[in-house]
Amino acid sequence: MSIKLNSFVVADPHKCIGCKVCEVVCAVEHLDRECKTVGTIDAPLLPKLFLVKTPKVTMPIQCRHCEDAPCANVCPVAAISEVDNKILVDEKICVGCKTCMMACPFGAMDLVPRYQDGQVIMQEVLTTETEDGVVQKEAMVANKCDLCVGRVEGPACIQACPAQALELIAPHKEKRKRNVAAALNLMDSVKKFMS
Amino acid sequence: MIEIDQELCTGCRRCNEVCPVDAIEGLQGAPQQINHDKCVNCGQCVQICSVYASAFDEDISPREEKIQERGLLTTVKEPLFAAYYQGQARGAQQMLSDSNVYTMVQCAPAVRMAIGEEFGMLLGSLTPGKLAAALRKLGFDRIYDTNFAADLAIMEEGSELIERVTTNGVLPMFTSCCPAWVKFVEQQYPELIPHLSSCKSPQQMAGAMFKTYGAKVDGVAATKVCSVAVMPCTCKQFEAKRSEMADSGQRDVDLVLTTRELAYLIKAAGIDFTTLREEGFDKPMGTYTGAGNIFGATGGVMEAAVRTGYELITKEAIPDVNLECIRGGEGVRRTSVTVGDLELKLVVVAGLKHVIPLLEAVKAGKADFHFMEVMTCPLGCISGGGQPKILWPGQREHAVTSRKESIYEHDRNLKVRKSHENPEIKKIYKNFLGEPLGHESHHLLHTTYQARR
Amino acid sequence: MNTFVVANPHKCIGCKACEIACAVAHLPVDINAAAARQTTFLPRINLVRAPRVTMPVQCRQCEDAPCANVCPVNAIAQQENRIVVHSELCIGCKACMVACPFGAMDMAIQEEEQSILQVANDRGAERKKVMVAHKCDLCTGRPGGPACVEVCPAEAFVVVNPQKLIRNMKEKRLASAWGMLSGRR
Repeated sequence: MSIKLNSFVVADPHKCIGCKVCEVVCAVEHLDRECKTVGTIDAPLLPKLFLVKTPKVTMPIQCRHCEDAPCANVCPVAAISEVDNKILVDEKICVGCKTCMMACPFGAMDLVPRYQDGQVIMQEVLTTETEDGVVQKEAMVANKCDLCVGRVEGPACIQACPAQALELIAPHKEKRKRNVAAALNLMDSVKKFMS
Repeated sequence: MIEIDQELCTGCRRCNEVCPVDAIEGLQGAPQQINHDKCVNCGQCVQICSVYASAFDEDISPREEKIQERGLLTTVKEPLFAAYYQGQARGAQQMLSDSNVYTMVQCAPAVRMAIGEEFGMLLGSLTPGKLAAALRKLGFDRIYDTNFAADLAIMEEGSELIERVTTNGVLPMFTSCCPAWVKFVEQQYPELIPHLSSCKSPQQMAGAMFKTYGAKVDGVAATKVCSVAVMPCTCKQFEAKRSEMADSGQRDVDLVLTTRELAYLIKAAGIDFTTLREEGFDKPMGTYTGAGNIFGATGGVMEAAVRTGYELITKEAIPDVNLECIRGGEGVRRTSVTVGDLELKLVVVAGLKHVIPLLEAVKAGKADFHFMEVMTCPLGCISGGGQPKILWPGQREHAVTSRKESIYEHDRNLKVRKSHENPEIKKIYKNFLGEPLGHESHHLLHTTYQARR
Repeated sequence: MNTFVVANPHKCIGCKACEIACAVAHLPVDINAAAARQTTFLPRINLVRAPRVTMPVQCRQCEDAPCANVCPVNAIAQQENRIVVHSELCIGCKACMVACPFGAMDMAIQEEEQSILQVANDRGAERKKVMVAHKCDLCTGRPGGPACVEVCPAEAFVVVNPQKLIRNMKEKRLASAWGMLSGRR
């Protein structure tokens, strides 16, 4: 029986130029409607991958779609599940408890509000006290890479990166590639060692 | 002015890849600076910059502060990127609400096949009727058009070229309607300034006519007129502020908005652009020909000039008004047109960096052409720094190509396609300017340049 | 984002000092008076003792608090950095207890009597005492901050405020990036 491991997108820090195109297209592809120009965007950009920018390293970080996803295993409402080899958050179930944010060792989970037609989505009942009085509180949900599930061309970040720094890793395929390379490597060295 | 927000810039230097004059300085990975002595304000960096301010980043100054700094309307909700231009939208809003001011507005050819994109319409959608309707709803008093002035510019520039050719004037002649190109010549090749046409750009010609002819036609004092221009360009503001641009005694153009800024104003006024009923531009200066409209694409000025020049010289109708040999994309195109017994050698350059070998040839006295059109932006004004900014890097080319197709489609569908056949152009000369290169024309429609080195 | 207190299961020694401190910190009168009146012991934090784990559990101060969103009388609301129960509005319906995925909500018996409701018992019938929902309130107003944090002998609690959470996220992302830099080729 062969086990299919979850694929994930990962960046090459030697190629990344820190341009944030990945963040932009990720956010744009997950908006409630199609936006082709900057002027048509009427809500904050909320990407599902996050650029790390420091003097010594620059690259985006995103979800690894762990086999034993810690985020899923700590979720008190079972809002995170595996569907078709992708670890996905069900926004309708999430209560914004932030436990998955603590659990994720990569920092790949964020907590964000949601927007519809340029307006932030409010909670049904929960109110908050502000300087302008008591108002409905914004709904907050867990946000992480979903491998662009539903997008025909696959992950937008990979398609858009001007430095081709992002790659979709299919773990077993990558493993076989490296096994073959290792085997080829040994052909010469073992010959010289054994003879 | 084009600026780079030091708080946001990550030093990816994609801006530098598109800067035609190498004006962006800094180490890879560190915030970049613009060298304003080199910068020609073309705004290509603004179009490509992808580093934006995250709404939830607490290490940077708040969004409200950045909005103020950039001259944006507080109603703007779009993300803010590192490279930006300082806008005049707020000034325009104030001016429109001042009842003591008589506003005349002109839109560049390239605006009408791009502004629809800011309202979710297909890339390159042609919407001149909705544009005019929106401007009227915003409260402008007169809805005129830069395309009218483009026709005017052809009359002046065509006559100037003929004069230079027949009287051994300075050749080759260069177009002067692209202010970034003009700034470039003034900075890097001031010795070649005499080659620039003395014609103002259509924007400035229109402005000068607003304050004189336009004021007369409407019986309004020139001091009460506010001349506004909507441009696809981030350099037109710089051009409007040039000290020479006030020949009528008033500033030709008081305020310049980019295509994007006009969209902000339309949204802030609650106007639903996509459902507007088409309207026309006002007479006399809203009447234009197909030749005026094609100025927005590379080769457009040249083609319009040939459509008129051919007939003025040979007194015969040009065999085919569509001069495909002059049209094209980024780079250098050479062609020649036989006009009577003269073989006019023409060069069209799109993308400022491609002009340098030609300028060197002119400097060395080895230029073998009569007339050169130069546009700083890759495909002409339709790809200008103030146009709707396309989010997907791969879609930019498609957007600009669609806009280009719309420009020529509009030209094809207009009844009058040659500048000299524009009835309002004939009238303005008959009733006001006299003749091309005449005294009034020279005073109001021509200009001088400054060496900036 | 809300602040919440959470315990580290690897440090907890199961002594229940946190429960005592929590109950005492929320007494309406001083501890001697409470002892004299035999006031009910009501901690808002509960020690879990199970074969594999020993640690206290308290309210997670969820952003989209299910307790709040299910309350039929809007008695639970966002206030500054936490979710609070306005007990004067609570009718004791227990919907919030059922809604809370952490089991962090409990019903607390008050000293006050209800206006009419009586309870039949072997002494006849007597006015029922008011019962209201209660949960961790971050000890707002208490000079030393959360009592559980202050008292724990194993220093097992962490106060997770937004700054700490965000800093933790950024550190993890940086560590991940660093790992990629040295690892992959």
